[in-house]
Amino acid sequence: MWTFALRSLARQPGRAILGVLGVAAVGALLFDMLLLSRGLLVSFRALLDSAGFDVRVIAADVTVAARPRLDGSASAVAAIRSLPEVEDVVPLAFGGARTDGRDGAPLELFLLGAGPARRQPWIILQGRAPDPAAGAAPELIVNRNLADRLGLHDGQELILRGDCGHEPAATPPVRFRVTGRASFPFDDPRALTAATTMDELRRVCGTEDGDDADILLVASREGQGPMAAVQAIRARRPDLHAYSNEEVVARFQQVGFSYFRQISTVLSSITLFFGFLLITVLLTVSVNQRFAEIAALRALGFTRRRVILDVLAQSVILVGAGGLVSLPLGFLLARRLEAILHAMPEIPAAMRFFAFEPRALGVHALLLMVTAVLAAAYPMRLVARLPIAATLRTEVVT
Amino acid sequence: MPAGPVVAVRDLSLRIEPGEFVSICGPSGCGKSTLLHILGCVDTPTEGRLLVEGADVGTLGDAERSAIRLSRIGFVFQRFFLLPMLTAAENVELPQAEAGAPRDQRRRRTAELLDYVGLGRRAHHRPSQLSGGEAQRVAIARALANRPRLLLADEPTGELDQATGQQIVGLFERVHADGTTVVVVTHDLAIAARTPRMLAMRDGRIDEEASR
Repeated sequence: MWTFALRSLARQPGRAILGVLGVAAVGALLFDMLLLSRGLLVSFRALLDSAGFDVRVIAADVTVAARPRLDGSASAVAAIRSLPEVEDVVPLAFGGARTDGRDGAPLELFLLGAGPARRQPWIILQGRAPDPAAGAAPELIVNRNLADRLGLHDGQELILRGDCGHEPAATPPVRFRVTGRASFPFDDPRALTAATTMDELRRVCGTEDGDDADILLVASREGQGPMAAVQAIRARRPDLHAYSNEEVVARFQQVGFSYFRQISTVLSSITLFFGFLLITVLLTVSVNQRFAEIAALRALGFTRRRVILDVLAQSVILVGAGGLVSLPLGFLLARRLEAILHAMPEIPAAMRFFAFEPRALGVHALLLMVTAVLAAAYPMRLVARLPIAATLRTEVVT
Repeated sequence: MPAGPVVAVRDLSLRIEPGEFVSICGPSGCGKSTLLHILGCVDTPTEGRLLVEGADVGTLGDAERSAIRLSRIGFVFQRFFLLPMLTAAENVELPQAEAGAPRDQRRRRTAELLDYVGLGRRAHHRPSQLSGGEAQRVAIARALANRPRLLLADEPTGELDQATGQQIVGLFERVHADGTTVVVVTHDLAIAARTPRMLAMRDGRIDEEASR
């Protein structure tokens, strides 16, 4: 059956190639939409998990971007750290700072302050993390962009003036010693980021007496799981809002990422419809041109089921071949679209809009095969209802 | 004039014995092709019965009638209807493959049949590379592929010149001599004259006086 269907398609190679290319284009866009529908979620989840913290604690039930201040962070950290379900806790505070660029123009950067903990939310690429007990000069690590921009190397001095946005205050500049380079998971490609201890960040921001943080990152104890840690934290400190990474992703899915899902659903449906139309038209034209031949095959003893399956086989071959070609095409297109979307500001460099999941391949194949079957439905119906004798008679007359 | 049902064949009773060589002739529109299609289980009579070797074909479903056509009836068409993307040999193999014959058996039978119709050397040629007479001989070979007991031919020489048409009739005579029942529909009286039994049709009926 497959060989026969393939030979039938090969009779009109131009038409077959057009069909395959059409399905390839449709399939590539469909594949990208499938990647997009969950890409951000998958990527965001990976990003959240990358630093090794699986629970986040904030002061209010809003997004972190709203910057709810968590007062009394020291006692919160102590309370959470004492829980048997918790492995480690690190408080984080966010601020801004300015320094002078190489050309003397002011340069704004993002400043992160982290409390003492065994784990930290960055990856050291070179040098070491700031050590509050190291010596007189406060220490700082910088990201690659900042280091390259200012030509910084380990041991070099960097003067920062606070710009933390709480209240405008003329805080004295702080001289830092650069101890290393690090990568920060949520940095966008152009970010200028530095990190220091919580105390030094407060000094830069002029809030030395403060005891607040923006967020607490928590690592659950191995074997306990993040939800156990979340429930323990909620029980110990019901005034705080604890969320596992999975819950954070779910919240973003409902709010922030739903637009991408909706867009991908609409575009997927439209592309599938065009693929369905293309194959239906091609097969219908082919069947119409072969009515007499099909009637002759029926007269020779081919069953109705056999000739119907031949049409279905042709559809599956066209869509299957197009589907295979669509995958590398889809990957290439995804890379191009990824680059375009990453030009949006404040998108973390590590975030992927089109994150690959093996299930996307399965869904892609399933949708294409369903399309192949549906597209063959009308031409199969034509073949099934073909009156043999009348068709043979018409062929002779015409 | 309003369109309505066309009575192609009426008041017709016909019996064809195994081993007969029968021609059905008549003017265009007399119902001879319709009769052939009924005999070949391609069409079903509106009234009446068709018995093939004693079995009432009208009570059978499409799959059973297809099975009868595949194994017991061979069809030869005016327009040959060879599949253009297959070679001569592949066209002859096609009904055998459909009947489930193993590959070796198909190839042997195909070679035998193509030799039988005098085209052993054209096995790997496509229909577009064959003359009309050669294409019709391949079609006859295809019709004989599953050793049918009944060979039906609808205007088999309609697309051929006189001389080639006579060659084709000669091939039918040989098939008949080898034991197959042959029924040929034709409007060519010269061809009908070569068959032992001729049925003349007019207005959907058999004209007994004109038949022999």
